[in-house]
Amino acid sequence: MFYVALKMLMGDRAKYLGLLLGISFTAFLVTFAGCYFAGFMTRGFALISENSSADVWVMNPAVDSAALTTNMPDSALQRVRSVEGVQHAVPLMLGDVDVHFPNGRFQSFQVIGVDNATLAGAPFLVNGASPEVLRAPDAVIVDAGGTSGKLQTPLRKIDQWPHDGVHLDVPTRELMPGDELLANGRRIVVEGRSKTIPRFPPRPLLYTTYSNAARILPAAMNLLTFVMVSRQPGISAHQLAQRIEQRTGLRARTTDDFKKDTVRWYLINSEDVGDIVTMLVLAMTVGFGVTGVMLYMFTYENLRQYAVLKAMGTSRRTLLSMIFFQASVCAFLGAGIGIGLCALIGAGAATIDFPFRMMWFTPLLGVLGVLIISLAAALISIRPVLTLEPGVVFSGR
Amino acid sequence: MDISLNPGTEDLIAVRCCDVTKTYGSGTAKVSALRGINLDVYRGELLMLVGPSGCGKTTLISIISAILQQDAGRCEVLGRDLTTLEQEEKDQFRGASIGFVFQVFNLFPALTALENVAVPLLIKGVAYKSSLAQAQTLLDSVGLASRADAFPGQLSGGQQQRVAIARALVHNPELIVCDEPTSSLDHKTGHEMMNLLGDIAHRSDKTLIIVTHDNRILEFADRIAHMEDGRITDIGTGKARGQLL
Ligand SMILES: Nc1ncnc2c1ncn2[C@@H]1O[C@H](COP(=O)(O)OP(=O)(O)OP(=O)(O)O)[C@@H](O)[C@H]1O
Ligand SMILES: [Mg+2]
Repeated sequence: MFYVALKMLMGDRAKYLGLLLGISFTAFLVTFAGCYFAGFMTRGFALISENSSADVWVMNPAVDSAALTTNMPDSALQRVRSVEGVQHAVPLMLGDVDVHFPNGRFQSFQVIGVDNATLAGAPFLVNGASPEVLRAPDAVIVDAGGTSGKLQTPLRKIDQWPHDGVHLDVPTRELMPGDELLANGRRIVVEGRSKTIPRFPPRPLLYTTYSNAARILPAAMNLLTFVMVSRQPGISAHQLAQRIEQRTGLRARTTDDFKKDTVRWYLINSEDVGDIVTMLVLAMTVGFGVTGVMLYMFTYENLRQYAVLKAMGTSRRTLLSMIFFQASVCAFLGAGIGIGLCALIGAGAATIDFPFRMMWFTPLLGVLGVLIISLAAALISIRPVLTLEPGVVFSGR
Repeated sequence: MDISLNPGTEDLIAVRCCDVTKTYGSGTAKVSALRGINLDVYRGELLMLVGPSGCGKTTLISIISAILQQDAGRCEVLGRDLTTLEQEEKDQFRGASIGFVFQVFNLFPALTALENVAVPLLIKGVAYKSSLAQAQTLLDSVGLASRADAFPGQLSGGQQQRVAIARALVHNPELIVCDEPTSSLDHKTGHEMMNLLGDIAHRSDKTLIIVTHDNRILEFADRIAHMEDGRITDIGTGKARGQLL
């Protein structure tokens, strides 16, 4: 009888396509929303991913994400280093600074100050060169951090450090090694460009040494944002984090936990999460509207055929399973189409730096969304079949 | 008003209705469709049910074929008292023992002629392949072997009704119920159809109950039951009545 159900379904081309369209649309939007969420979360904890060699992150006890931070006294580094089980511990400083370009334009950057000795946390340059360039005086590495057009400096000599005010609408080029900028009034020299994981929200980045960062950031009591710890063999990251918390009173999180903390922080605090939820609700509502109405109309118009089946002895249970079968066929085809489409778009999005990441759970989310709406659509559609009088088969209409 | 019951013929009786009544609606909208029907239909006979529009013919065959439940009275079909059956048993009973032919053929437009014929077997749970094989035999016997893969929309009215007849027979039911099987067909095709049905009834000892308005086909009946206003007023012998009883 499933064969008959399938034939009935496909027999009505227009509605079948409508059903598929509705479901594909839902699968697409739900998966898309999931991928977008995964994408911007991945960018949200880009700093953590970038420092994958760190087993444990130590921070001010008040900090609960990589997105919003406050600092600790420099002495915290020594205290962490003295905990047994710690192999290395290196400092990482985060701060924001206004950078003035030679034509007078200014732009806010996130400063990432890395350990003077090891340069741990500094990225490789776009040309593959090592971050050793940071050892030059006042050296910085700049990174677009997911922005575009924010690293433009004036092309012509006459627009650089002019004496007659700012030259804003002038021809520009991208920053190059050797360019000089002013960060918080201090001279900095671009020694290279990097392309690390884009940030969410996007912002240009300025990598430099810890001491150079201390020089250019506005004077503050505490400068140390994180201590990145690698563990000795024989102790798990979890154990070490616990031990560091006990010994130092600081907050210590394993890399995975810290990523989760950051995701949770975005869930609670980011407006973009609200947008994604709106998108999901919209996808489900429209999907249900289209699918539900289509399946209902489909069943309704085929009511006589169901009545004939009923008269010929088909049990209620079989009739119901036929309708659920039809809904499931549409659900799985639609989910396939929608998710496939999403994967295609995803491939395209990756090339334009759109925050989009197909993770294991995103297609599942799409399938789940589709299952819910198909089930709901089937549920409203079985009613007319259940209340059907098989006697109508005798009527001449 | 026991017109036709002959003592000692119980095992020859396919359908026995005793004082069957049926009322639709309630209050002022109340319609008494059947007002005490007494009717015996014998195994292997072709009974025609005639009468003015609205006299209750369709209601009666709906009750006989376990589609509708009567309000009062007994209805025994093929040895089963329908009132004692659960809904599921009724479904099974219809699926196994009754074949239907409708005025508006009621074929499935998305299925081929062959698949349409196979549906009663599929309902019974017969495997797809062997259903089609059996359906092919039936389709051959109604002379439509060459149109097996055509969809109902591609067939003429007469051809569609042949498919419907093949479908009504494919699961080898003992009772075949037809509601105005010829009224959507022209005279000649109607005749062909009745030849086919009459042939089947007499050859395979099946019981046929045919509701009709079509005087031109009355000659095919073994007996003719006249209905009026929810009652059977007269049962007469049709021209085709042979040495049946
Ligand atoms: N579902 C229903 N609800 C209410 N009244 C009904 C229903 N079905 C039939 N009736 C009424 O019951 C009476 C008998 O109807 P039925 O369909 O059995 O007549 P019929 O002899 O088959 O008529 P026709 O020759 O026009 O097909 C009619 O008055 C009809 O209006
Ligand atoms: Mg009728």
